[in-house]
Amino acid sequence: MSGIATGAGVLRLEEGPPAEPIHQSTRERDSATQRRTARVAQTLASPALGLAKISLTFGGVAALRDVDLEVARGEIRAVIGPNGAGKSSLLNIVSGLYRPDRGQVQFGEHSFDQVPTARLAAHGVARTFQNLALFKGLSVFDNVQMGLAHRVRAGFLRQIMGSPLARRIEEENRAAAKEVIGFLHLDDVQDCFAGTLPYGVQKRVELARALVARPKLLLLDEPFAGVTLAEKQELSQHVRNARDSLGATIVLIEHDIGIVMELSDRVAVLDYGRKIADGTPDQIRADPAVIDAYLGVAHEDDTELAV
Amino acid sequence: MAHLARTKTGRPTAETLWIGIGIVVAYGVVPFAGSDYLLDAVLTPFLVLALAAVGLNVLTGYAGQVSLGSAAFLAVGAYAAYNLHLRVPGLPLLLDLVLAGGIAAAIGIVFGLPSLRLRGFYLAVSTLAAQFFVQWALTKFGWFSNDNPSGVIDAPVLRIGSVSFTTAAERYVFSLTIVVVLTLLTLLLLRSQSGRNFIAVRDHEIAAKVVGVPLLRTKLLAFGMSSFLIGVAGVLWAFAYLRTVEPAGFNLDRSFQILFIIIIGGLASLRGSFIGAAFIVVFPLLLSRIGAALLGRVFDSGVLEMSQHIVIGALIIVFLIAEPRGLIALWDRAWSAVRPARRPTIPT
Repeated sequence: MSGIATGAGVLRLEEGPPAEPIHQSTRERDSATQRRTARVAQTLASPALGLAKISLTFGGVAALRDVDLEVARGEIRAVIGPNGAGKSSLLNIVSGLYRPDRGQVQFGEHSFDQVPTARLAAHGVARTFQNLALFKGLSVFDNVQMGLAHRVRAGFLRQIMGSPLARRIEEENRAAAKEVIGFLHLDDVQDCFAGTLPYGVQKRVELARALVARPKLLLLDEPFAGVTLAEKQELSQHVRNARDSLGATIVLIEHDIGIVMELSDRVAVLDYGRKIADGTPDQIRADPAVIDAYLGVAHEDDTELAV
Repeated sequence: MAHLARTKTGRPTAETLWIGIGIVVAYGVVPFAGSDYLLDAVLTPFLVLALAAVGLNVLTGYAGQVSLGSAAFLAVGAYAAYNLHLRVPGLPLLLDLVLAGGIAAAIGIVFGLPSLRLRGFYLAVSTLAAQFFVQWALTKFGWFSNDNPSGVIDAPVLRIGSVSFTTAAERYVFSLTIVVVLTLLTLLLLRSQSGRNFIAVRDHEIAAKVVGVPLLRTKLLAFGMSSFLIGVAGVLWAFAYLRTVEPAGFNLDRSFQILFIIIIGGLASLRGSFIGAAFIVVFPLLLSRIGAALLGRVFDSGVLEMSQHIVIGALIIVFLIAEPRGLIALWDRAWSAVRPARRPTIPT
């Protein structure tokens, strides 16, 4: 079910007007249909993301030890744990910024020892960062459009001369960016420099940049950290919509247990680089190991070092 | 094009109008009204340095890669154009210009390769290698200067078809045309996806990589484009301005001069490149005129020149403390004070 939803490139938000499907050329639509067929077949066969026996050490410190994680298509999967448990390291491995000492990362049918970061977007994976990673010198609109940088196949001379190919890609990307900006209510600030905006708005811009490419897999590293309660509720609605309307599979790292339990389908708990529990929110809440390691002690006001 | 249209609606057309008026004046009035001294000793070097600054700004201001080798690429452009003209009979001047820029771009790309591993000061130091290597090679191998014992080359007459550019006004118009065309092409590049990729790499390289910006290609494009522009500026410097050049004219001081132009004018701003070049070229001249008029009888010219340097240095410091984003930021602030209704847009 979720696999089929993935293919439909349509955005919808309850209060907003129904968005138009993104403009696609016939060729792309054909290949999209093929991909969709293939994906439906895979839905049963392979998870959206699979981590097998991942180990990572920094010097002598083991950040991750034999971590397995399976993320089913269309699910919202949270990874929680105390500071330093290895959550961000895990996302950095999935996005190829770190190379694990041992273990494999699997996206659908592709399996990697180290994920090629440069090809990440092409594999349909997008992420946000724990501390904002916007392009401060670009406008909000351009930041969002940057999320489609991997789609631009025209060389720089064609871009300067405005060849038909370059113009078509530019227009498609602009239309997609506009749509996501509307979806996340960023219209009013789209011409502002990203660096000048309030923190919560910047978080939304980053989410928009990740969503604009309609990722199959969306990695969110503490998307709710440092935002106000009202913004939290709005953002969590957007995250849910990214799954429900765009069919994205979501891996979420978050400290706010309330939001995690409410939002996610399954939760994995890390402690000292090991996975100590994995299950539905209810199972996790009742798990004595988790209560010992994490839930029993409040860590929510701490922040971790940057990526 | 759609993306140009958007920027125009965001920015009132007043500014486009001013640029248009500037170009009309530069073509229609200045060549006739300006004295030979003004055209030859002020405006032509201003245009050439502005083009070189546009080139360096692409690399340093937009793509965030620091370079101290600008003068080397000026030299490569100048000597490449000279040798192509000398050794390929009948080569049209414009083609010569483009090929010389291309050779500078190729060498720029080679010296840009360390940027994949090095950043900031370390990269700046590695671009110094270009500076010293090029100057050394041009002095060491007589072939480059057609075996002139002093390494000096005499530039040929500028000629396109049957039209030749010999007088100060004609050489000014020639330089102006090249500079305007290349600046507009650069503007188009910066407003395309490649231009956004430059800024993305500058502002957050990891995020840029994650969204699929090809880092290698983007950095090398920045180095190539920048060196191309600086190389063409070098051709103009040799052929239209000085008309006789030697390797020593392209030393580290020149590289610093171009770097100061973009810092004073404003990083990541094409208009800033022009304002900065105007400042660097015109200000010392003004200062020496004023100094000579006021204090010429009291001090000798050596002392005057020395104090001129001190005054300029002090002014630069004062100025960068007051406005680290350069003259263009002052200009924009003044402009928005006049027209407060302007919506925030991305300056170019």
